[in-house]
Amino acid sequence: MNTSSNGYVLAFAVGLCVIISSALSLTAGALKETQAKAEEFDRQKNVMIAAGLLKPDEQKPRAELEQLYRDRVDERVLEIATGATGKITPDAFKKMRDVERKPYRLIAVTKDGGGKEDSWVFPISGPGLWSILYGFLALEADGQHVRGLTFYKHGETPGLGGECENPEWTARWAGKSIVDDAGKLVSITVKKGHVDPSIPREKEHMVDGLSGATITSNGITTFLKHDLQGYMPLLTKIWSKKG
Amino acid sequence: MTSTTTPLQAPKAVLFGAEERKAIKDPLWDNNPIAFQVLGICSSLAVTTRLDKSIVMGIGVLLVTTLSNVMISLLRKFIPNKIRIIVQLMVVSGVVIVFDQILRAYMYDLSKQLSVFVGLIITNCIVMGRLEAYAMGNPPWRSALDGIGNGLGYAWILIVVGTVREIFGSGKLLGHQIVPQALYDAGYVNNGMMVLAPGAFLLLGIIVWVQRSISGYVEK
Repeated sequence: MNTSSNGYVLAFAVGLCVIISSALSLTAGALKETQAKAEEFDRQKNVMIAAGLLKPDEQKPRAELEQLYRDRVDERVLEIATGATGKITPDAFKKMRDVERKPYRLIAVTKDGGGKEDSWVFPISGPGLWSILYGFLALEADGQHVRGLTFYKHGETPGLGGECENPEWTARWAGKSIVDDAGKLVSITVKKGHVDPSIPREKEHMVDGLSGATITSNGITTFLKHDLQGYMPLLTKIWSKKG
Repeated sequence: MTSTTTPLQAPKAVLFGAEERKAIKDPLWDNNPIAFQVLGICSSLAVTTRLDKSIVMGIGVLLVTTLSNVMISLLRKFIPNKIRIIVQLMVVSGVVIVFDQILRAYMYDLSKQLSVFVGLIITNCIVMGRLEAYAMGNPPWRSALDGIGNGLGYAWILIVVGTVREIFGSGKLLGHQIVPQALYDAGYVNNGMMVLAPGAFLLLGIIVWVQRSISGYVEK
């Protein structure tokens, strides 16, 4: 058999491609459902991490965490334009999740042990440098101060923009305020460099930038503000209820 | 296709003859892919901050070197010489993608932590190096042993580095607190360098040094 003839080389290449690609698509198909479940569980975990129900590096059995999610987290559909929130049926749930930057978004409300509203978890997403970042911003029950922040899906450079999921960095968001003294939405700015705690405006509304990831940092600042502006109808309701 | 085209086989080799033992033992120490050949350094720096990551990465490379060695060895007489590198690459990519997909389904957290480095096994010099240097010229059983040997040779170094880095970098092992709180109260702090790449560089350097002074290898 002449293994260096053009015909053989071509046939071999095509044959191998077909075999390997069908093996890969079979694997991907067989694992798809398990992967989707794992991804959904990861999303729920991140809601809980943002809301402080779970520490970022805490390792607990999956069943226990799923139970915690059912007990303490209440997912609601938010109508962006009016700020109205409502319960979701399984059907609607699926529909809402597929909708991005549309009239509806899915938010979560966590409850304390007694069933009282404890924090508001808003999905945030937008472009960084290479990719769209997906995360959650949890606000205290007053709707003004940050409880926590997580990013659970992105394609930023590991070690640079990818540090947006580093717990040491996200911990710096806690306690910052998205509202200024006059009651206006100012969002939170990711500053290039370090925050100067002696300047009240920086101390209240800014966090340290990610070294080597200015574009990711700026992206987060921009889409966070944009998303929060979208949530204003609901935020206004929360603020007035407290005030 | 007739049997006359295949070359005459040597008398059936024993399961663990001298060649076979050499194939699996050499890469563990004398010809270690990391300590001796200094290959696969990039991933061993990047994933060894925690022991669980090191173990999973070690298993990944072990599976990839073994499976791709066997496949290439089985195909070695049919692979056209002109496109052999790309054929090797395809087989490696296939195995790596399957491993990545399985991780994503069953160990989602770790797969996120390992991020690009699972995919980068494809470009790990150890894998391609073994295919080109060994599997293309040796029968499947011996190639499998060579793959296992090299995979283990890579994995044990990762595990050593991962263990040291996790204990000294974060005071934990496999996520469990190892360094007692009393020590922290007494003023002990975790070594920040251990969680960064330079810590791994130093450790690898020490391993290479120790390995070479024991095995007596001198760079010519």
